[in-house]
Amino acid sequence: MTAGHNRRDVITGGAAALGLFLIGGNQVWATPSQAAARNFTPQILTQSQSQALSTLAEHLVPGSAKGGVSAYVDTQLKAGPNSLLMAKYVGVPVEQQKGFYLSALDAVASAISDKPVAAVAEAMASDTVPGWQGPPASYVFFLLRADALDVTYGSQAGFSDLDIPYSAHIRPETAW
Amino acid sequence: MIQNSPDTVIVGAGAAGLALAARLAQAGESVVVLEAGAQRSTSDMISSQIWARKLKWSAAAVEESGTHPVGHAFNAGSGTGGSAAHHYGVWLRLHQEDFSVQRDHNRSLDWPITYQDLKPYYDRVQDAIGISGDHVAEVWRPPGAPYPMPPLPVFAQGRILDRGFQATGRRTAPLPLAINSVPRNGRAPCQFDGWCDAGCPIGALANPLVTSLPKALSAGADIRYDAQVIRVLRDSNRANHIRAVEYAQHGKRHQLVAKRFIIAAFTVQTSRILLNSSLNKQPAPGNRYDQLGRYLTTHPAGTIFGLFDDETTPHLGVSGGQLLCHDDYANKGQTGGFGSSQWLIANAIKPHDLLGYGTSRPDVIGGELRPWLQRAAKHLANMTLVVEDISSPDNRVTLSEVRDDAGMPKAHTHHDIAPEVANRWQQRIDEGEEIFRAAGATEVWHGPRVAMHIMGGTVMGDDEKKSVTDTFGRVHDTDNLYVSGPSLFPSSGAVNPTFTLTALAERQGDHLLGTPVNDALHA
Ligand SMILES: Cc1cc2nc3c(=O)[nH]c(=O)nc-3n(C[C@H](O)[C@H](O)[C@H](O)COP(=O)(O)OP(=O)(O)OC[C@H]3O[C@@H](n4cnc5c(N)ncnc54)[C@H](O)[C@@H]3O)c2cc1C
Ligand code: SF4
Repeated sequence: MTAGHNRRDVITGGAAALGLFLIGGNQVWATPSQAAARNFTPQILTQSQSQALSTLAEHLVPGSAKGGVSAYVDTQLKAGPNSLLMAKYVGVPVEQQKGFYLSALDAVASAISDKPVAAVAEAMASDTVPGWQGPPASYVFFLLRADALDVTYGSQAGFSDLDIPYSAHIRPETAW
Repeated sequence: MIQNSPDTVIVGAGAAGLALAARLAQAGESVVVLEAGAQRSTSDMISSQIWARKLKWSAAAVEESGTHPVGHAFNAGSGTGGSAAHHYGVWLRLHQEDFSVQRDHNRSLDWPITYQDLKPYYDRVQDAIGISGDHVAEVWRPPGAPYPMPPLPVFAQGRILDRGFQATGRRTAPLPLAINSVPRNGRAPCQFDGWCDAGCPIGALANPLVTSLPKALSAGADIRYDAQVIRVLRDSNRANHIRAVEYAQHGKRHQLVAKRFIIAAFTVQTSRILLNSSLNKQPAPGNRYDQLGRYLTTHPAGTIFGLFDDETTPHLGVSGGQLLCHDDYANKGQTGGFGSSQWLIANAIKPHDLLGYGTSRPDVIGGELRPWLQRAAKHLANMTLVVEDISSPDNRVTLSEVRDDAGMPKAHTHHDIAPEVANRWQQRIDEGEEIFRAAGATEVWHGPRVAMHIMGGTVMGDDEKKSVTDTFGRVHDTDNLYVSGPSLFPSSGAVNPTFTLTALAERQGDHLLGTPVNDALHA
């Protein structure tokens, strides 16, 4: 630390906020929202899991589908031990995250295949989804909503939307 | 750079490890620090709650059980600075009564030292590191030198919550923080942006990267990263002497011989390393009486949230809070539960992440969410409850059957909350909600009971049958193996632990350097 160093906003964080996404058959560096806009192909999630995640997350946190919630989760699951998903704080260690998300999203996909997403979300919150097979539904609800909040409101754009100054010491990439 | 056989090997480059590395290296000792995590600098402290997760413990997950698990994944960090790299700088002294809970209340363990023994070290560390606060307003504060810096300002959120404390007959004081309120020791003052959880790259907050690390490095300490210590090895000719540590680095095992070893790997990992050091049916160091890993404690904590008509500007300030209330601290035996407790009032808060307000209300979804967040961004207030735990021998760290990638057994923690502690938590949460209503909140709710800070496991004491180390952290059945950090705490008190563990490390430093305890104070 240099004497009297008083910096704000002087450095921009590295490129790790970007991920490598499969877009049109090529690996492309992009942010999750760019990946979502360019119809990325998920590499860990199946199309149906990815779609289920976007649909539920958009219902819970409007704007999160466009914000790239599926791309964000997919790329973090791909990162293995370096995953930044909030799940690791609340009982899903990184080594278990892939299995957790895949089974949770299969359960969501199955539930929304024959019921409106609003009804599924309500039933998930109270653990009353008929035939639910996967980690506890209310827990999945909490975590997916938190991921959607990360993507939508955890960025400089999200802060501006809420009219909060971001006031970074070191700015992150604009990713989520 | 030292290649082998240094005077001292320290395991862990966190708060305790780097404080001791600086102290011993400055006194002319050769010191090697082995750190399991990555090398980091302040430029890695990117202002984002998502990026902040990179600073957390990312090696083998700890298996947890019990009615109140210790939350290692949230409470532990790794790499340069350890958990302290992104701690919030709430630096409080234990109270005098925290040292004698067994004697006074027939619960927990007594400390083998008193507040008076630690007081000079609190004062010395406070002066060296710098704490902002108001010792007069802190009417509950045990004796000690005045803070060297004035308190940080109180913003709207703090002023509004203070109304509730006053209206319910309670007192508050500025929160003492190891955060510069004015330029000091070449470090900048705080800018009140609430990014402390992501690390404070300007060095206003006293994280080890800007306090002990530069001192340790300039005095010649050698810090080796990605070096995971697996166990300590006894001398085959002298069973009470440790000859070397074994560590894994880049897929290979190494041994490092030294005169002295200090394990400062934070509570759970410190017990794990020692438990993994039993060989040929010989008990692990400090474990002749099956005490190693026991008396694991964690502060049961919780957050009260509320919405107000007034503008609260909750993004302003520091993550640790603006005000403190210790009115209920001294009365551990008060009816309704057991234990001291404190309020850390008006924490700067973000919309998302585990501690964010958006996350605190899973019921707000869909079209209602954005307007709700927009209102909360301007009108929300919050405060954090911290409750004392009761040390119990059944709450402990053990080794799992499962091994990590380096072949080391993973740690398992078991922690149950005593019903009387759970009752105290609920009682205070109810009171906290009342305080919010008295402050004028139009809506009040609280978060779940969570675990904050992890202590115990290698507790210090005079009796080897009830402790793991002596009062200087020397492991009882060894002559050159020490432990440093909050794992030494026989009981938890209800204050954040880093000031106390740093004062203990300073006291250890005097002992290890042969400075008659306290003499250095007058130097
Ligand atoms: C978000 C957060 C906020 C906090 N805020 C506060 C606060 O405001 N006030 C307060 O008093 N406390 C606070 N704390 C707690 C504080 O950070 C810890 O009490 C303190 O850092 C413990 O110091 P330590 O030296 O024992 O461990 P650490 O600082 O965690 O350092 C231990 C180091 O050992 C390394 N290590 C572990 N195992 C091995 C191994 N096998 N081999 C080699 N190295 C190893 C780790 O990687 C780590 O770097 C906070 C903690 C967190 C997570
Ligand atoms: S609020 Fe203050 S202490 Fe926290 S990161 Fe910003 S400058 Fe540092």
